[in-house]
Amino acid sequence: MRNLYLVATALLLGGAAAAAAASYTSDAAASRLEFVGVQAGAEFKGVFHKFTANVDFAPDTLASSRIDVQIDMNSVDSLDKDRDTTIRGKDVFDVAHNPTAHYITKSITKTAAGFSAVGALTLHGVTKDVPIEFQFVPGAGGAKLSGSAKLNRLDFGVGQGDWKSTDTVGDAVKINFSLVLKPKG
Amino acid sequence: MPNQSPPTRYSAVAQGFHWLIAALIVVQFTLAWSADDLPLGARKLALLARHKSFGMTILTLAVLRLLWRLFNRPPELPPGMTTIERKLARATHVLFYVLLFVMPLTGWMMSSAKNYSVSWFDLFTWPNLIGPNEQAFNILRTTHDTLSWLLFAVALLHILAALKHHFWNKDDVLKRMLPFTKSERRS
Repeated sequence: MRNLYLVATALLLGGAAAAAAASYTSDAAASRLEFVGVQAGAEFKGVFHKFTANVDFAPDTLASSRIDVQIDMNSVDSLDKDRDTTIRGKDVFDVAHNPTAHYITKSITKTAAGFSAVGALTLHGVTKDVPIEFQFVPGAGGAKLSGSAKLNRLDFGVGQGDWKSTDTVGDAVKINFSLVLKPKG
Repeated sequence: MPNQSPPTRYSAVAQGFHWLIAALIVVQFTLAWSADDLPLGARKLALLARHKSFGMTILTLAVLRLLWRLFNRPPELPPGMTTIERKLARATHVLFYVLLFVMPLTGWMMSSAKNYSVSWFDLFTWPNLIGPNEQAFNILRTTHDTLSWLLFAVALLHILAALKHHFWNKDDVLKRMLPFTKSERRS
């Protein structure tokens, strides 16, 4: 009886291992992380050049799937040096004190269009849940994970002093991401 | 009514374009100079956003004004003006029309080059004319600044000439552009 229990446990563990999500890491050069803000009534786009995504994902094992992204806030690039200097400064990202942002999913669910997830975003030293919508497309030698999110910058205290007002710089920020994933190994 | 003989006064439409654009240009200089004195901040961006909105308004009015001008004759210059005065008056007016287009267009291109798209009073966003380019931005900014001083100089000459015609020559060159007046003095 006891042996049988052990065998069952082994089978269960083995089964879980077989169905585990595949592990990937992002191809830095091919992946893109973009944000779209509103400034003086007009949208502007910027990107983060340096970020790393570690992804455990399989469409049939969402419970053990996970997306984990580390972003180097210093790598922000809004295609204008003056604006980038302001964004890195103490009133906005304050990269001197908060050099990285971190996003890690808590739960992933299947949707009609793809997948949605809720994850904890730590930005500017503040951690809050941010939902994302994404699609996962397996391909030769990896996968592509692309999607979008929306957040309010003031939820994270991004924008102090002069930049706290939303008259000139809007509160809502759109995030678009396209991650080219390679298997870990 | 066939436009056989030239009118003696500027029409209400011509006067409307003239004074509206003149007022907007004064606003533009005020906003630009105020913004120039400020460090990069929300206040500066707000002033420049207004400057851009008014600039696009001027560009739109300039298009309408030029179209209108092509189909409507202005009153003729008074007799007694020397050839050089006529040429100078003509050159001033042509330069005004050129600057009415070039000032907003260089401003619009500047904004595009710096990746600060132009909104029209937060209602809609104009498309970028060129891609982000720091070098192009610097050239365009110098052009926009330099031409603003040219515009300032031409406007000063224009105003002084109008006053000279009114008080020295005692003709109706100024009055025929003024609403609520009659051109009693014959040109």
